[in-house]
Amino acid sequence: MRLKSYLKDKWWLFVLFFFMYMIILLMFLAFKVNFSCCLATSILLFLFVIIIIMIDFFRKRKFYTTLVNHITMLDKSYLVLETLEKPNFYEGKLLYQILYDINKSMIENVKNYELQMTDFKEYVEMWIHEVKIPIASFMLIFHNHQDKFDKKAVLQMHRLENYVEQILYYVRSENAEKDYLINEVSLSKVISHIALKNKDDLLENNIDFIVNDVNYKVLTDSKWLEFIINQIVNNSIKYKKENGNSYIKITAIDKKDQIILTIEDNGIGIPLADLPKVFQKSFTGHNGRFKNQSTGMGLFIVKNLCDKLGHKINIESKEGSYTRVFLTFSKDQYYEVLR
Amino acid sequence: MSISLYKICYNNKKRNVDDIMKKILVIEDDLSIQKELASLLENSGYQAICLPLNQISVENILKVKPDLILLDINIPVSNGEVLLQEIRKKSSVPIVMVTSRNNEVDEVLSMSYGADDYITKPYNPTILLLRIGAIFKRMENHSEELVYKDLSFNIQKGVITRGEQQIVLTKNEMIIFHYLLTHKNQIVTRDELMTDLWNNDEYINDNALTVNISRLRNKLKEVGYYEAIETRKGQGYILLCD
Repeated sequence: MRLKSYLKDKWWLFVLFFFMYMIILLMFLAFKVNFSCCLATSILLFLFVIIIIMIDFFRKRKFYTTLVNHITMLDKSYLVLETLEKPNFYEGKLLYQILYDINKSMIENVKNYELQMTDFKEYVEMWIHEVKIPIASFMLIFHNHQDKFDKKAVLQMHRLENYVEQILYYVRSENAEKDYLINEVSLSKVISHIALKNKDDLLENNIDFIVNDVNYKVLTDSKWLEFIINQIVNNSIKYKKENGNSYIKITAIDKKDQIILTIEDNGIGIPLADLPKVFQKSFTGHNGRFKNQSTGMGLFIVKNLCDKLGHKINIESKEGSYTRVFLTFSKDQYYEVLR
Repeated sequence: MSISLYKICYNNKKRNVDDIMKKILVIEDDLSIQKELASLLENSGYQAICLPLNQISVENILKVKPDLILLDINIPVSNGEVLLQEIRKKSSVPIVMVTSRNNEVDEVLSMSYGADDYITKPYNPTILLLRIGAIFKRMENHSEELVYKDLSFNIQKGVITRGEQQIVLTKNEMIIFHYLLTHKNQIVTRDELMTDLWNNDEYINDNALTVNISRLRNKLKEVGYYEAIETRKGQGYILLCD
């Protein structure tokens, strides 16, 4: 709150005072009051006006300056009311009350949306579990009556299953606090699950699945890690070269205080211009448009989950020759000691 | 001489154990899955029993005297985890939890309540059978020796013995032979063999499977079994042993 602006705002007061002073001077002239009395009254008048304005200014300045400062300083400016002292002048009290009411109604509104969102997420999770039942049922029927089905049907079912997993982990990554559990997880076991899951796809596409030296244990949530690697492997299958020997190679190395898992393929690769953007939400890029079946969500969710788990993920690629994904797990010294 | 005699005895004992079909109780609320699961188990040589939903209780379950229970977590009457805990108070029958809830917390909880395995829907039926087989194998705790006619097969060493003659199998050949042997007189599809191989971290492709089977056949020829593994066109392979 600046004095200059405040005074400018009070222009009407000065105009009124000027008129009043003129009237008083005229009255003094008319009644022929002597000059000393005139001067004394004038000084007193001016002094009082200045004091009144100053008192008013300083009372208000304290409240408004803290309000403005706090709003700029807080990262969640809607919490400003909590940091203010209740003002002792009428306008301030009014404003304080209004802020309080607005705040309250906003919180109610946000809460309402929050509830709706949780309801929706819960419904989606429930729906996902429901939809897995017919998929499981289909898999069993397929297995029991293999003579009546084409093998391709099961591949389509795997695709469906994969999309269902994607949305499940998207929902989970958004409110992750509740369902993950960090444990010591064997990389080879996770990779074995992924291999079995994608077996039909890999065989159908003639992709060699090569796994070397993955006998390490890392601290992570096994289900989440399975989803992460599964997405990467799925991408490798999806973006394989049309001809030639395709492979997906998974290796791990132990580096002092971290373990790095590398998933490498010799697929079509990612154009250099697209590389920095692959983790962005809904980014499909050149390959996605080309293959025409990309949602642009897979790697976004993967990145999200990696961030939550504290794993680093990097992608290296050369268009037309390879893509390498590096997952870095940190070792926890504290945990080692505990054991 | 004494060794082969022992083997014959073992062979007979094994037959007897096999003759009693293992009873598997399926607790599952989805009728279509229940039906298919039962027929899957029956095709694989188990006796499958399903309880109607309104009769699911610890007493009824234990009355059936199952050798293994497949238990769904999301059954409507009472929660699967609660049921698991109650069964565990009275019996140590192997229990496999089958669920569509795919998260670590549920799995850790179930295992800590005493489940023997935890499988998430949708599962690969062959894998389910392999896991069930593994539990029975663990339970019976019998020696790592299987017998095919007058051949004895040591899984740990990967060696087939006939009298004085020994042949060493590679890991892949061993997995294939073991699968054929545990499913003798049944047609085994290439997909089943492939699943078992991949389940044992041998990620081989179609050609490699063909090569491995023909190598296995050659090795069996060495000990005098010329047509042990027959090919059934369009279906798979069969290891005949009468």
